[in-house]
Amino acid sequence: MKTRTRILPLLVLVLLTVSLAQAAFKLPAPEKLTLKNGIVVYFLKTTEVPLISFRLNLKGAGSAQEPAEFEGIAALTADQIMKGTAKMGADAVSEALDFMGARLGFSASDEYAAISADCLSEHFPKVLEIASACLTEPAFLDDEFKKAREIRLNGLKSVKDNPGSAVRNYFTKAYFGTHPLGHFASGTEESLAKMTAADVRAYYKKYYGSKGAIGALVGNIEKKQALALLNAAFGGWKGANAPASTLPPLPEPKGIKLLLIDKPDATQAYWILGAPGYALGDKITPQATVMNTLFGGRFTSWLSTEMRIKRGLTYGAGSNFQTYRIGGLFQANSYTRNEKIGEMLDILFDLLKKVGNEGFTAEEIESSRNYVLGQFPPTLETNAAKAGTYVRLAFNNLGFDYYDKYLAGIRAVTQAAAKEAAVKLIPTENYVLVVVGKADEIRDQLKKYGTWTEKKISDPGF
Amino acid sequence: MKKSLALGVLLLFAGASLLPGEFRKEDIKVHKLDNGLKILLLEDHTIPNAALYTYFRVGSRNERPGLTGVSHFIEHMMFNGSVKVAPGEFDRKMELAGGSNNASTGNDRTGYTDWFPADALEQMLEMEADRMQGATFDPKTLESERQVIASERRMGVDNDNDSILWENVLATAIMAHPYHWDVIGWMSDIQSWRRDEIIGYYKTFYSPNNAVLILVGDFVEAKALNLIEKYFGPIPAGTPPPAVLTVEPPQMGTKRVLIKREAQVPSFQIVWHAPSVRDPEFYPMSILSQVLLRGQSSRLYRRLVREEQLATRVYGGQDETIDPYLFSIYVQPRPDADLARIEAVIEEELAKVKKEGLTDSEIQKVLNATRSDFYMGLQTIGGKASQLAETEMIYGNFEKLFTIMDDYATVKKPQIIEAAKKYFTENNKTVGTLIPEGGQK
Repeated sequence: MKTRTRILPLLVLVLLTVSLAQAAFKLPAPEKLTLKNGIVVYFLKTTEVPLISFRLNLKGAGSAQEPAEFEGIAALTADQIMKGTAKMGADAVSEALDFMGARLGFSASDEYAAISADCLSEHFPKVLEIASACLTEPAFLDDEFKKAREIRLNGLKSVKDNPGSAVRNYFTKAYFGTHPLGHFASGTEESLAKMTAADVRAYYKKYYGSKGAIGALVGNIEKKQALALLNAAFGGWKGANAPASTLPPLPEPKGIKLLLIDKPDATQAYWILGAPGYALGDKITPQATVMNTLFGGRFTSWLSTEMRIKRGLTYGAGSNFQTYRIGGLFQANSYTRNEKIGEMLDILFDLLKKVGNEGFTAEEIESSRNYVLGQFPPTLETNAAKAGTYVRLAFNNLGFDYYDKYLAGIRAVTQAAAKEAAVKLIPTENYVLVVVGKADEIRDQLKKYGTWTEKKISDPGF
Repeated sequence: MKKSLALGVLLLFAGASLLPGEFRKEDIKVHKLDNGLKILLLEDHTIPNAALYTYFRVGSRNERPGLTGVSHFIEHMMFNGSVKVAPGEFDRKMELAGGSNNASTGNDRTGYTDWFPADALEQMLEMEADRMQGATFDPKTLESERQVIASERRMGVDNDNDSILWENVLATAIMAHPYHWDVIGWMSDIQSWRRDEIIGYYKTFYSPNNAVLILVGDFVEAKALNLIEKYFGPIPAGTPPPAVLTVEPPQMGTKRVLIKREAQVPSFQIVWHAPSVRDPEFYPMSILSQVLLRGQSSRLYRRLVREEQLATRVYGGQDETIDPYLFSIYVQPRPDADLARIEAVIEEELAKVKKEGLTDSEIQKVLNATRSDFYMGLQTIGGKASQLAETEMIYGNFEKLFTIMDDYATVKKPQIIEAAKKYFTENNKTVGTLIPEGGQK
């Protein structure tokens, strides 16, 4: 069945619903298990389906540690961990997992590497056994490294065939520069040319360890059995004594930075505007969430109303905040046919000014509060969502009552508070704006916004 | 790319023997109003929310040239005004009540999916009932929304090489049946549908007897049913819509599509005509599609990506459709790969299946994976509503959800060989290649 949806999933919010009657909805408190080597795993038994979700964050093994010339090595290391162990080849690993219909993955974020496993309860012992073998005795074969490198190089090329994907890569580099938060998980053509399997082995050896690791297990299993299985899988592992991960401060754009990428065959122009946001756990979170929901975070938001609903300029327009421990990012994005890009960006700049000047009506604030509250419970429905939330809250020292406070905070947001968040966070003077489109048809429309740096999509890199 | 869901959405195979008590056929309460509206209710009090899924038996298979894409357009216009709800108010009222929604149109069905706090149920039912036959198609909004669809098409098809190739392969492989065009429709049709034609199409297909309403979540059955009767009961039944009569004629030889355009990497796709879900041969073909294409241990991933390193990605499979559609293989070749070799490898693997069939272990793998998928989809109220809705629409009755695993489990190995021999033939095949302009390196 091929389907077309009304709204692209990526526009649908990170945070979902609770009406006022639902104040009682809470994240269930997990139990704390401690493995023999000190790894903490939060546990919750659920019985509705015969499934288990397991998450484990390995502190310090993320991309924050990457030297610039080895961009992507954290993600590449996570990928290679599953490509063979002391006893199993890569094909045996994938065969065993696929046979059970299980999902096991290793990935790298900025400040940690992560294991995630989702499977039927009856298969959990076997899945943990494989996860343990991958984590504690990976083979890191040269041949597998070469295959992964080729796949990444090809992926970087194909990104440029789709302007909607390409604009994200160009924006990331234009905004973050060489900061580790701007590293591509795929690496770059230059970094992939430099890295070897030996570098991946060294990265693993230096950064993968049990110190500070935090996990969560949610599913249909008894606590005693869960603890025994986790101890057998990970309790004897020590690994590296990874140095604390430190990230340099985020870049903050001073003034306006404009970048135009010429893609001669594009029939629409795609853009992203970005500016500093706020850090994970910042007390401005409820205000900023209520504000952004109205500005660009849901279907009837200002951006979507003015660009899509009233004028039919685009299929989707929106904005969001990305939060990290060291700070955050505000982003707005959309696309329209080449001849309309000037009209669309005029609307954008009008709205960016208007939100700080005028704020929102009382009815808008009520609607936004209800929406954020009402869409919240479904975000915690699955075992995987609960496990992911426990790990995120614990890893970032936010406390398991974080969402209780957050929801209370949402209920308390006033018109003044939302306007204050807009004044503080919605950019009018300092931002980065990247457009990918057919330059011959859009260049003249863009002149009035300032001086643009122009690049061709066929130029190497991003 | 939207076709990656070939097997995703509907993999719901479950046998009664495999299900614990939590999601049983007996817990789903079935009702039918006098006007023909079928209702499925499932109480689930795990979160204080509800999922309301209203599905209509209409999709691109019901369209005709000149009106391609109109099913999807009506889906958009359903949010743009009805008798009691002004244009844009559906979303505004719903969001004020804490709810959100989406909607989707496929080849065979159109679905409206609402997620909201339990106390918004009555308002949601009232608004859904109002637009079942009361959409107003305000002329000004209609023109604006037309351009939204044009933008969606530019984004989803015209600026994406894989989608461009897919649209060409589809229209080449399927000659006569309305599956010939993509759900989005042709750009010239999008730009020229007339309002009276759109309304005529809407009146034909939007009636209670052509719909199913599914409610899962935090409500009490008797009370919910009363509300449904209150709002949907007065809607008159419609004339049953005309059946789709066009039958795709047998293909007479291999077809090939070659596109040259600006691109960094080539694209490669092969499709064969394949059985509908209502054909017993659907099951052996579905098992085959998983063994060939699902996961890194699949036969084609092993050959094309791992061993011969001709591609970085391969996916696809047997689609689930009411009328016969396609078995598709999508390959992301390496920039310098020999595309003829990719085709030859695929043919070698199919020849192996035709000669030797599958192993017991491979079949067991399919059964395990589908069971795991089934439960994964049951963790949310939306997931439950979705499985019930899709099964009811595509398979014809939701009860199939509870016995479909048996249809898989009883497939015999020789049937898989027979199906492979019947469908994977030269005459049944269409091959599409997109080559970066200037020719392949």
